[in-house]
Amino acid sequence: MAQRIHRISGHDHGVRVDSRILEERIQRAVRQGARRLEVEAVGQHGIGGRLWISREEPIHVTITGSAGQRIGSKGFPGTTIEVMGPISDDVGWLNAGAEIIVHGHASNGACNAMAQGKVLVAGNLGARGMTMTKTNPRFDPPELWVLGSVGDYFAEFMAGGTAVICGHEPQSPANVLGYRPCVGMVGGRIFVRGPIDGFSQADAVMEPIDDASWEWLTANLAEFLGKIKRTRLLKRLTRREEWQLIRARTPFEKKGKARRSMAEFRAGVWDAELGRGGLIGDLTRLDRSPIPLIVHGDLRRRVPVWEHRKYLAPCQSSCPTGMPVQERWRLVRDGLVDEAMDLALAYTPFPATVCGYLCPNLCMQGCTRKTGDMASVDITKLGRQGYKSAAPKLPPLSGGRVAVIGGGPAGISVAWQIRMKGHEAVVYDMAETLGGKIASAIPDSRVPKEVVEAEIKRAAEVLPHVHLRQELKAEDFTRLREEFDYVILAVGAQKPRVIPVPGHERIVPALTFLKQAKRGEARPGRRVVIIGAGNVGCDVATVAAGLGAEDITLIDIQEPASFGKERKEAEEVGARFKWPCFTKEITEQGVLLQSGELLEADTVIMSIGDQPDVAFLPESIALDRGHVVVNNDFQTTDSRVFAIGDLVRPGLLTHAIGHGRRAAEVLDDLMNNRRPCSDTRRMIDYSRMTLEYFDPRVVEFSDMKQCAAECSSCGACRDCYLCETVCPQSAIRRVELAGGGFERVVDPDKCIACGFCANCCPCGVWDMKEAAPLE
Amino acid sequence: MLTERPVTPATLGVKDLPWQIKWDIATCTNCGRCTAVCPVSAIEFGVFRKREIIAPMGLQARPSNTFSVYHGIRQRTDPAYACIGCAMCNMVCPNNAIEPVRQYDSTTLEFHNNRGGQPRTRGGRRNSGESLLDQIKFIRISMLTDPALDAGRHEFDMRTLLGRVLSPEDELRCQRENGWKPPVREIYPLVIGGMSFGALSPNMWEGLQMGVAYLNEELGMPVRMCTGEGGCPPRLLRSRFLKYVILQIASGYFGWDEIIHAIPEMKEDPCAIEIKYGQGAKPGDGGLLMWYKVNKLIAAIRGVPVGVSLPSPPTHQTQYSIEESVAKMIQSMSMAWGFRVPVYPKISASSTSLAVLNNLVRNPYAAGLAIDGEDGGTGAAYNVSMNHMGHPIASNLRDCYKALCVAGAQNEIPLIAGGGIGKHGNLAANAAALIMLGASMVQIGKYVMQAGAGCVGSEKDRCNVCNIGVCPKGITSQDPRIYRRLDPEQVAERVVDFYLAFDTELRKVFAPLGRSTSLPIGMSDGLGIGDRDVAERLDIKYVI
Repeated sequence: MAQRIHRISGHDHGVRVDSRILEERIQRAVRQGARRLEVEAVGQHGIGGRLWISREEPIHVTITGSAGQRIGSKGFPGTTIEVMGPISDDVGWLNAGAEIIVHGHASNGACNAMAQGKVLVAGNLGARGMTMTKTNPRFDPPELWVLGSVGDYFAEFMAGGTAVICGHEPQSPANVLGYRPCVGMVGGRIFVRGPIDGFSQADAVMEPIDDASWEWLTANLAEFLGKIKRTRLLKRLTRREEWQLIRARTPFEKKGKARRSMAEFRAGVWDAELGRGGLIGDLTRLDRSPIPLIVHGDLRRRVPVWEHRKYLAPCQSSCPTGMPVQERWRLVRDGLVDEAMDLALAYTPFPATVCGYLCPNLCMQGCTRKTGDMASVDITKLGRQGYKSAAPKLPPLSGGRVAVIGGGPAGISVAWQIRMKGHEAVVYDMAETLGGKIASAIPDSRVPKEVVEAEIKRAAEVLPHVHLRQELKAEDFTRLREEFDYVILAVGAQKPRVIPVPGHERIVPALTFLKQAKRGEARPGRRVVIIGAGNVGCDVATVAAGLGAEDITLIDIQEPASFGKERKEAEEVGARFKWPCFTKEITEQGVLLQSGELLEADTVIMSIGDQPDVAFLPESIALDRGHVVVNNDFQTTDSRVFAIGDLVRPGLLTHAIGHGRRAAEVLDDLMNNRRPCSDTRRMIDYSRMTLEYFDPRVVEFSDMKQCAAECSSCGACRDCYLCETVCPQSAIRRVELAGGGFERVVDPDKCIACGFCANCCPCGVWDMKEAAPLE
Repeated sequence: MLTERPVTPATLGVKDLPWQIKWDIATCTNCGRCTAVCPVSAIEFGVFRKREIIAPMGLQARPSNTFSVYHGIRQRTDPAYACIGCAMCNMVCPNNAIEPVRQYDSTTLEFHNNRGGQPRTRGGRRNSGESLLDQIKFIRISMLTDPALDAGRHEFDMRTLLGRVLSPEDELRCQRENGWKPPVREIYPLVIGGMSFGALSPNMWEGLQMGVAYLNEELGMPVRMCTGEGGCPPRLLRSRFLKYVILQIASGYFGWDEIIHAIPEMKEDPCAIEIKYGQGAKPGDGGLLMWYKVNKLIAAIRGVPVGVSLPSPPTHQTQYSIEESVAKMIQSMSMAWGFRVPVYPKISASSTSLAVLNNLVRNPYAAGLAIDGEDGGTGAAYNVSMNHMGHPIASNLRDCYKALCVAGAQNEIPLIAGGGIGKHGNLAANAAALIMLGASMVQIGKYVMQAGAGCVGSEKDRCNVCNIGVCPKGITSQDPRIYRRLDPEQVAERVVDFYLAFDTELRKVFAPLGRSTSLPIGMSDGLGIGDRDVAERLDIKYVI
């Protein structure tokens, strides 16, 4: 029975039967025991598949006629299909074990998705052969044997098995493997004999045929040729050198398309065409090589600069005398209290009288600590001790001579400074004692007598040429101008201003009153009205109260401008402030206002300021509304005559002293044939200091030491080591200077320009500067 | 100074700033890297006072205060130093202790970026998240109806034509009469749009050119790059790489004398000449390269003295009408290379685009029209121009393409679309959408900077400081201290990367259309959108 050939026809009496009918007939025959079948096909689909029994009992199907598509699809092990002529598309599609022998050419799609079994083709293959094949470890891998050549897109997505392309009488002799084979190939191997035109290098690789493979190939080739009945070709097809082996790359071998590295391209192609340095190598020599985000040296966009004493501290900048307040506190911190005291004398002859008592302390008003709502460092703690300092050692005289007219704070200041610069200064003053209003008009309550006397005495020691009781007239002035190299006018404002209202003869000017009081000669009545409620008016009120006045009223045409200690003390003695009040007349009863109100008074004092007495000045010295006109150097319109103090413009004592110091500098420059120049340093910006290191709850300072400690040392290095400690790169170093002192330097090779030093510094000496452009 | 400073109208607190620095005291190591790297000095080292009140239990002793000091990072609140959100601080932080966080309800700064009477200027983009292109779907997927192609397997001819293509009749007449045939280039449809040498740093520019050369010479992709208006380095002009370059001429005419001097020495003709009339990001706004960016190098390439500010006026100075602009400029530029090089104008998308196009159709020398939409980017522009001026690209391009169809010239004058392509990273999808709406090719800029060089700019007003020379990535700075952060080789690598990826993606879109030998230009039946108005306006399918 097994040997009996069961013939099945694909047509009934010349009419083609449907593929479904033919398939039913084949299955029925096999069920009935047929094991050798001969099918006469008329293009039917899928013949020879699904013969499940063949696993146990081999089945041989011979197909004559014209076979349709997908012959042997779902073919099973033990099934052998022999197609006696050419075959249509997709032979062996999803073959799971059948052996399919084709005695002719096969068209497109052969072996697509074949997983097991073999397809043996005695001719050529169409396109897309051996695509999507599989390998299942449980079974033998699939095989495709082609005597001739294969078409395009061979072995796409091939995932297993072996294809053998013998290249015998190929359809395209120039390329037996077709166009673009092996794309997406992930498994299996291809033996090929004959010329090929490349394959997907990304997916497959060619390798030498080793002995074991050659042995497998030759043995199986003989079997293949036997089955297609072309055994005599064996010798011709077994020349080892004619064969090549392509196999899928392993996952580890896959690395995408091999490309030239960009570095190689740049060197070998880009720079080779453009020239050394590439695109702009001819235009710039700048290094353009890559750098990291964090850089050092010249590559930093900013650089820290240690700006020690480059700027003035706000205190020093605020003080008209230029007193280096923060430097004095540094001396105190360093334990050099005496030096701190003496330093003041280089700036003012009255450190105690003015800085300690009379000055509203502009330095403290400017103190950086105020920006943090903290108490200013208290300079009076230092100032009040100043009267004890001895006069500084004087330099020898240069021969230059200067006449100073006026022995008040401005005159003493300028003479003091001139003398300290080595020139002779002769002070001319009409008063009995040196000191001007400090000595004659400012109440004792403002400043202890012994302090003033000590400081005036010290000034007198330095300025021995004081001629008292000079009555200055125009010709005296002319004489002085001829006799001396320079004349400095510092006569102050000694002429009280009085409003010419009816009864003004009854008025006592404030200056007169204060001078009388100072001499112990003032006798105010019980009721006092003071016209002008400024700080001098307040002083008058306080003094009058001390002398027995009980009912004190200060009037003003506007809201009084008085402030500070003076105002407070006047209020404490019960003085009333009244405004706006416009005086109509002074009567025996008191002050009659334009409103008709009468302010009863026994004494009426007018305190609306004093004016300079300039009667003795020649016309060559220009005036503006009673004051002498000066330039920035305090030079008048007569180049050999200078003017300072209240004569120039009304101001505080410290302004007068500051004028003196500045005028002395100018004169010193002139006498030494230098162009006058001043300290051009600007005040440091408040934002540069860091106050967080100081206790905000300190409202009062116990002593000098505490003051010194709480000073932020604006603009001058405190030498606190914060920057060195904070620097994350340890780039900051303190270097002792040869001539004493020190500086802080930054190692550019360590610094990353983080700016930490600039932001942590209490003194604000570090600044981050934009680096200079590289090109 | 914190509590007692005077309050001015423009005194801002951290809460008023759009980008707020989040700093973690616990992990910060005070290494200084963040303040060192911050491009705008928005952060600084801070000294902080800490007060502790000690009240003994049962008040057995007098309570007391202790103060201590700690250090850390503080954000500055002066509008001039407002954080830009670039997050370089985070990038350099070893401990991830610091980062900028965008606060959308903090808008006060928006009202104070005009101090001194100067309206805000910036670089970047429109800062708008919307993208019509992203919403367009490719709805024609031929599985069985057309030859279904496999993007991974099949070969595609991803090329397009730049230049005037003659109509069949004209072509025949031209052949018969042996007449002048307009030059046409076969190029890759994704063009790197005009970004000048000057707007970009030397390292960035060289990296882009190198990447383009690599794509051409190593990978066979005919990618082209436009120079933008800032001239072209003399070496490039005299190299064979010039054929990959589209030279741009704009209203400032910078660098053109150098180009003219190089013409007799050129080994290759440039790919094309682009005449810039407008820029999508800032229509009607000119350019200004500030004097401090005009260093020796820039000056040499632009042909100007060092250290002068270089204005590019919003309009060309010698052209007074459409006819004249189109005819005169195209004629001049065509003549420069003996009519061998395609010349096309670039305009900002506008309601006037059609008028320009109609003119071009009549001009035999016009090689195409580039239209730049409102979502384009720029190195510097007024905020108002960038945010509020311009025309979306999709409808403008579509109108132009349909006008060409009416004139029967749709295969003759290529339209080049730009502005917002790849805005959210969807480069291939956006490009494909525009191609199918009618563009022959697309131009990209911002995407190149983002993908090619790691530009951190986003549509959330992040960074945007291209105009002031402090680009944290070194893309738009002329300062070697900054641009050396960028390695031209790595930029070139990235350009190659994104072009290859784009190529694959574009195939993924086009393969299911069954198109492999020519781009589906104007194949709008393959497009759909879930918005009826848009579908109607663009004449594509409404799909839901």
